[in-house]
Amino acid sequence: MFSFPEITSSFYYTAAPVLILVAGSMVALLQGVSQGFASRRSIEVTAWLTIFAAIVAAAVIPGEQAEFLAGGLLSGNLARTGQFAILAIAACVMMMMREHHTGASFFRGEVASIFLMLVSGMLVMVSSDDLVTLFVGLELASIGLYVILGYVQPNRRSQEGAIKYFILGSVAAAILLFGFALLYAATGTMRLSGIVAALPSIANHGWVRLGALLTLVGLGFKLALVPFHMWAPDAYESAPTGITAFMATTVKVMILTVALRLFSGAFSTMSEVWYPAMLILAVLSMVVGNIMALVQTNLKRMLAYSSIAHSGYMAVAICALSTTATGLPIRAILFYLLTYVLVSLGAFAVVMSLETAENDQLTIDDLSGLAKKRPWLALSMTVFMFSFGGMPPTAGFIGKFFVFNAALTNHLYGLVFIGIIGSAISLFYYLRLVVRMYMAEPVAPFGALKPASGGFTLTAAVLAIAVVTTVLLGTILPGEVMERLVDTATEVARK
Amino acid sequence: MEFFNSHVLSIMTFLPLLVAAVIFIVPDEKFARVAALAGSALTFFVSLHVWHYFNVGSAKIQFVESYVWMPEFGIRAIFGVDGISILLVMLTTMLTPLVILSLWHSHVAHVRYFFGALLALQTGMLGALVALDLVFFYVFWEVMLIPMYFIIGVWGGARRIYATTKFILYTVVGSLLMLAAAIVLYISYHRQTGIYSTSILDLYSAAIDPSTQLWLFGCFALAFAIKVPMWPFHTWLPDAHVEAPTAGSVILAGVLLKMGTYGFLRFAIPMFPLAVKSFAPILVFLGVVGIIYGALTAWVQKDAKKLVAYSSVSHLGFVVVGSLALLADGSLSAEALTGAIYQMINHGVSTGALFFLVGVIYERRHTRMLSDFGGLASVMPWYAVMLIIATLGSVGLPGTGGFVGEFLILLGTYQSSPVAAIMSATGVLLGAIYMLTLCRKLLFGPVTHEENKNLKDLSPLEFAYLVPLAFLVVVMGVFPDFFLAKSRASIEHLAKNYRSYSLAIDSH
Repeated sequence: MFSFPEITSSFYYTAAPVLILVAGSMVALLQGVSQGFASRRSIEVTAWLTIFAAIVAAAVIPGEQAEFLAGGLLSGNLARTGQFAILAIAACVMMMMREHHTGASFFRGEVASIFLMLVSGMLVMVSSDDLVTLFVGLELASIGLYVILGYVQPNRRSQEGAIKYFILGSVAAAILLFGFALLYAATGTMRLSGIVAALPSIANHGWVRLGALLTLVGLGFKLALVPFHMWAPDAYESAPTGITAFMATTVKVMILTVALRLFSGAFSTMSEVWYPAMLILAVLSMVVGNIMALVQTNLKRMLAYSSIAHSGYMAVAICALSTTATGLPIRAILFYLLTYVLVSLGAFAVVMSLETAENDQLTIDDLSGLAKKRPWLALSMTVFMFSFGGMPPTAGFIGKFFVFNAALTNHLYGLVFIGIIGSAISLFYYLRLVVRMYMAEPVAPFGALKPASGGFTLTAAVLAIAVVTTVLLGTILPGEVMERLVDTATEVARK
Repeated sequence: MEFFNSHVLSIMTFLPLLVAAVIFIVPDEKFARVAALAGSALTFFVSLHVWHYFNVGSAKIQFVESYVWMPEFGIRAIFGVDGISILLVMLTTMLTPLVILSLWHSHVAHVRYFFGALLALQTGMLGALVALDLVFFYVFWEVMLIPMYFIIGVWGGARRIYATTKFILYTVVGSLLMLAAAIVLYISYHRQTGIYSTSILDLYSAAIDPSTQLWLFGCFALAFAIKVPMWPFHTWLPDAHVEAPTAGSVILAGVLLKMGTYGFLRFAIPMFPLAVKSFAPILVFLGVVGIIYGALTAWVQKDAKKLVAYSSVSHLGFVVVGSLALLADGSLSAEALTGAIYQMINHGVSTGALFFLVGVIYERRHTRMLSDFGGLASVMPWYAVMLIIATLGSVGLPGTGGFVGEFLILLGTYQSSPVAAIMSATGVLLGAIYMLTLCRKLLFGPVTHEENKNLKDLSPLEFAYLVPLAFLVVVMGVFPDFFLAKSRASIEHLAKNYRSYSLAIDSH
């Protein structure tokens, strides 16, 4: 008989961020249609209050592991870290959107409502142990993204990007769901932890293998691993840059959290099935991502391909999960993810502080001579580019060091070799940006870029935090951070 | 004082970076000039302290400092100097103030950042020389690249972007392979001992099977060979030198290139001793090819700076040959090794001076073509004196440091392989030919160009940075023991015991 799971007060603690976001989303929606509260200011108040309340709530989520709703909701280090990261990114993106030329259309009732709702979907996804709940969270997030991508700036390009993302994303969702269904059919349970228990006896079964592979493909789509990356450059390019920054970071956080749960947990007994596939995805992503980034002229497209390549590096560490020693790869992935998120946010913040409504597709040439006009902006971008390229003393170097370390510990020499070649290629296009900023003369219509505001801006604050953290994570902090990730790694590896 | 004594190396290493940060923040060019000179001079005095209190006769590693960084992964910041690195440290701290002095009246754009970059570069160089931990060495090694990248790319000549991109990409490909090899070494050490450590003092004792050693040595050697640069990885060097501003060229040739040869002595040879036997003939062969190829190419250059750049390829070929002179009993020749280390310093001094001198005429005439000059000896007599001293140091005339270095290298190499020694000796001969050609074309003969008749002789500022170098060329030739005494114990230890190398810590 079905019995409704008992709801305790600690459930509300754990679910609070999600509930707050849903409530805030409803309020924003109602505000949008009501006469008196539809102003940008009042919508903003709602959105900010909701996000801050959710962040505070996420901070009180217990660090020890517990589960509610039969595994539909988890508390624990990974869930907590993931939720916190997503909410922090959302807050940063809202800060940047506020000063961006698309800000007015972003802080509308229906858009803010969708935004808050999709963030809640992401939170559900990072803190669930149940395949159905996972999928609901994923779709909530994805559908919100499809809409917001084409709706904030309703022009042809962004709608085209949204449609592309929608079609490919839906196919991916279908594949993922089919994989989940096969897993359920084979094991008789929706719980990841239940699948772990059931798998060893039936891991050789064809349907189980197919289920695992389809799941991998679905996640690969969302992570934009080559050859499932086609949507990414178009979506990144066409979306308002704030949304691009949001998408480029939170989706990776959300999917990798799930990937960690799956590949170090449920699928750990059948690594011989997914390991070769993941290997191919990692290699292709590093090679294709870096080579394609080389030939881009549009800044956001270049960053899109670079993010594909970075997904490839994280996939290298996932490959390293295939063996028994899993603590290091998990921490390597989390550290790499942290640096990737920071640096991406920073790089997009630079782009956003230069864009205007007339010139919202910056090319690499637009940055020519930036060091003369906006020295601090150029310096920040340089730090980000060196970090993306993995040069010390930035966080990117430490991230690559740990990923290579994890991979070499598991004898993945070939993968590391390809990673090295990729890094060298990537440095070429990252440095090209630095060359433009420092070593080229400004192109004639420099006025096309947004002038410095002179005073304090929230975008500059995000930028400053990103720069300082990127350098600190490359110099003083990495030991500390890696130590803090131990608990999370043991929690994930235990399952 | 207590604090100073126990942290002298980190003070020396990070002081320039601190000054660079201040210069970057304070938007005043005059201040930047004074701060840069004062900062680099102070660094030199700190290094003099190290030089003075350096325990002669000890092969141990001295002035050791150790800081915990990532205890879980066994990564510590360990700094120390021994006889292998002390001379290079001094060369670095001595050259940087001179380079800053040479920019004193410079009118290049954003000269403030130029000073900042030079000081940051100094931190990178000193850090790479004193770091005894693979990760820290790698970090400093890469950190050196970034300021140099900007120095060439921002303040360089017409094709600066091509040159600087080529420079950084070449170096990064090599060093990433080195990073992977370092991680493999680190993991194998952990498998054997159960301890995570990236300290080379520990890693020297790792017992790695011979075939793995071959691979690891290969990866390290590639990174170092690109940096030296050894033929056939040298093609970035002439481009970088031609496009780099004078100050950049001096540092590049004076110190940066030696990082490659230093890497062989500190890392590749003692960490992978079983691979030395297989690799030595190859590296010596490439070194000899570099000596002859560099010399012949230098001979036919029309551009004075390119000529000096190719002479570097030739001179560093000597250093490589000297570093790998294997004797019949399997040990390295201590004479050749001494010569190699001495030659590194000589090359830094005399080639540094040569680049300065090419810069002097370039500043006056905005050309470096040999055919645009001639007869300068009558117009600029002091310039001629300096150029001749630097040239004689470079060709290795007895009485200059170059003679001591080359003689020791050839002596040691002859015991190892007479063929290599004889082939290398032709390099000495060719060196005399192309360097004297340079002198003749610049200094002697009639003054063929009207513009050259009124060139001003060296200014007091130019004297200020050239005289110390000219002085060193001679002193190093007459009193080699003053310098080599500090290195002797370490060199003998390395030459004899590189197959079971270990570095003890000297705590005084």
